[in-house]
Amino acid sequence: MGQPRTGVYVCGCQGEISKRIDLHQLAATMAKKKGVALCREHESLCSLQGLQLIEDDLRSGEIDRVVILACSPRRHEETFKAILRKAGISEYLLETSNLREQCAWVHEEAKQAYKKAAILAQMSLARSRWLEPLEPLRFTATRRVLVVGGGIAGLSASLDLAEAGVEVVLVEREAFLGGRAAQLYRYFPRLCPPGCGIDYILQKIRSNSKIELTTLTEVKSLSGGPGNFEVTLLQKPRYVMPDRCTACGNCAPLCPADRKDHFDFGLSQTKAIYLPKGFPHPQSYVIDPDRCLGQECSLCRQACPVQAIDLEESPRERTIKVGSIIVATGWDPFDARLVEQFGYQQYPDVINNMEFERLVSPSGPTGGKLVRLSNGQPVKRIAFIQCVGSRDKNHLPYCSKVCCTVTLKQIKYVREFAPEAQIFVFYMDMRATGEYEEMYRLAQEESQALFIRGIPSRVIEDINSHDLILQAEDTLSGQMVKIGADMVVLATGMTPNQEFRQLGERVGLPLEMGAFASGHLQCFPFESRRAGIYAAGTSQEPMDASSAIKSAAGAAMKALVSLPEEIVIRPTVPVLDKTKCDKCKRCMEECPFGAWGWDDAGYPSPNLLQCRQCGICQGGCPMKVIALKHSTVKQTASMVEAFDPSFLGEREPTILAFLCYNDAYPAVDAACEKGLTYPANLVAIRVPCAGSLNVALVADALAGGADGIIVAGCASDQCHFVRGSDLAKTRLQNMQETLQRMMLEAQRVKWLTLNITDTEGFVRTINDFVAELRRLGPNPFKG
Amino acid sequence: MPPRVNKEKCDGCKAEHEPLCEQICPGDLMTLNPETRKAYCRSTRDCWDCMSCVKICPQGALETKLPYQLGYYPAKLIPLMGTNKITWTCIDINGKVERFVIKTRND
Repeated sequence: MGQPRTGVYVCGCQGEISKRIDLHQLAATMAKKKGVALCREHESLCSLQGLQLIEDDLRSGEIDRVVILACSPRRHEETFKAILRKAGISEYLLETSNLREQCAWVHEEAKQAYKKAAILAQMSLARSRWLEPLEPLRFTATRRVLVVGGGIAGLSASLDLAEAGVEVVLVEREAFLGGRAAQLYRYFPRLCPPGCGIDYILQKIRSNSKIELTTLTEVKSLSGGPGNFEVTLLQKPRYVMPDRCTACGNCAPLCPADRKDHFDFGLSQTKAIYLPKGFPHPQSYVIDPDRCLGQECSLCRQACPVQAIDLEESPRERTIKVGSIIVATGWDPFDARLVEQFGYQQYPDVINNMEFERLVSPSGPTGGKLVRLSNGQPVKRIAFIQCVGSRDKNHLPYCSKVCCTVTLKQIKYVREFAPEAQIFVFYMDMRATGEYEEMYRLAQEESQALFIRGIPSRVIEDINSHDLILQAEDTLSGQMVKIGADMVVLATGMTPNQEFRQLGERVGLPLEMGAFASGHLQCFPFESRRAGIYAAGTSQEPMDASSAIKSAAGAAMKALVSLPEEIVIRPTVPVLDKTKCDKCKRCMEECPFGAWGWDDAGYPSPNLLQCRQCGICQGGCPMKVIALKHSTVKQTASMVEAFDPSFLGEREPTILAFLCYNDAYPAVDAACEKGLTYPANLVAIRVPCAGSLNVALVADALAGGADGIIVAGCASDQCHFVRGSDLAKTRLQNMQETLQRMMLEAQRVKWLTLNITDTEGFVRTINDFVAELRRLGPNPFKG
Repeated sequence: MPPRVNKEKCDGCKAEHEPLCEQICPGDLMTLNPETRKAYCRSTRDCWDCMSCVKICPQGALETKLPYQLGYYPAKLIPLMGTNKITWTCIDINGKVERFVIKTRND
């Protein structure tokens, strides 16, 4: 490939740059540099003539790469990239330098601004020599989605996707569909029976040939990445052939074995062969293998008129290929046994809010009668305790959002089933948001529930009457309240269910706040920390049914976007130089997205589809053998080398700043918008994430004589790449300690968190830092 | 003087079977303490002060003192690894600091 022939273009920006910086001189200087094939000055490079000029030069073959000295890359880099593409040259052969937002507009002193511009140009030219032509990477993809969980979120996500023309495989662990919503008596805000809504979706799903629906099926293992997941599904035997079973029910009365029905949370019993409640799919009986007496009994088989029973059925495994995965595994009620003082499962009349739903439900254990579980008497005094386990550091540190409204809804049930009953609600804060406020008003005014602001210290049972006694401080009146009740309902919050945890472990997905959250809820709310796996419904966070349907639509959209015929990704991926890698595995450990695995030869290798291209692996590699294409260590090192620490004169301190392109770089750009100025002593290099910066580069900069170094990233919990900024900070701290031992002032290396609006803070920091560096004197390596 | 491990900074190379210092040590002297998962030198008398481990440690957790033939106790030699250069700081027994930048051929 011979020597690089760089075309350098200096933009005057209609006087915006040229009024402060002598561009004739800059162009003349740059023209003489090694590797510069031509250097042109133009009033406005982003104008049609300006772009034409670059295109003509590229087409003439005189140059093979472009350095643009103009405005911030955030402004026009894409424009210039497009012109390279148009001229048939890889857009990655472009290097831009920010002479406007980070030079001409913010430095008042023309002489210093010129010197900084010259150094920026020099650094860009140095980097341009190491640019490589890169082309987008293409992968074939499977246009099919796996939806895990047949609850209301899973069902609606499946339907949304199928209606958009995508094949869907929907798996449900239970023998019935509808999930938690199917267990409810009514759901808000309209207080209609959920059966209606679920049935509506199910009718549509059954008539849609794009959806393959299987129950009693779990995800056994998962491999591959977005576009090409390989999922092994395990279908448990149901011992009844659904295509033969007519659900006549002849078998169940003969069955000698009982089982507790977990659909009713163990409050009712069925036979070991039973027809699931809710929305059984397929509509046929199932045998519970844990309770069935097996071959010796076989009474059901003899009773079955259609020979549908097969007691020898074995589990079936199959592997499918899917392009993306939606996790809608739902939730379990918080285990109220952990809050011992409320006597849950100690006293039969203390139940949780989901059990209460089953109790009043017509298909429930009492057939829709509100009676005490201890003695079957009607309920006269009922107490609700809110926030059981929720908003509690020891149990669930979060608010589950729905339990307050659930109680308001259940107050209505009480009025429906026991109009005379007295209702008490013990609460910390009632959080009935949006239109649920109306339910709160009705609960107080129409249902005449008494709200007591205070959580009972404990629930005890009167030994003789079996009445429950609750004692609490009403914090509004300051008085102690003692209430006898014959039923206590604990408003328990939501926790991710077991299936979800197991799936997380199998896929190596970290759970945050009990959910698959990406760690960045504003920017990527549906994304998990594994590309191609999206969360819907309560796998995302606690929410009510209507939010779950909305969430499902969002997750379906995200899954849809990542399902093209062909996946095209940016070529700025990490590449490993195997000849020097010593397999220390640090890249695997530090990657926040689990993208690194082993290749056949035993070397680490990134799954490019799983990779988010943050470069944290490059930053952590002790051998510096990982190169994040287009932001390689080599390319940045060439800029550091080209940085002349004395560009403002021997005595003036100079600072080299490595800025995260997500937050810190725009924050620095924004200084000009606010009319701020700062000393020209600072020269910035952009990096994709602070975590992508290898500390060797900081060492280079120090050894090269830079008086101060700044590494700036996002605040710890705001990093787009989860732990990039935390890792960068730790790495710098380690280095600072070494500097101290070297008798070099550790203050010369500064870690800075900047968010996009932190411009004033940044300017203040720079001014202070320059003053501090003046006090410290020059870097001993300078000159 | 054999390498001293800063146990706060050493992360056992993320509890890898063989940490980098173990891999690089020409005398095979460094190894992980199976309990603490931190590196240590298992035969201090055999160390030649080649400083390979100091240079490779990604956490900057290792330090060697100069051998007594070259400088008594307070004397130190500390490398700072750049991409294609090593910056050496030599502090002699009187606290005099000298610094050298050496280009490497690691490109």
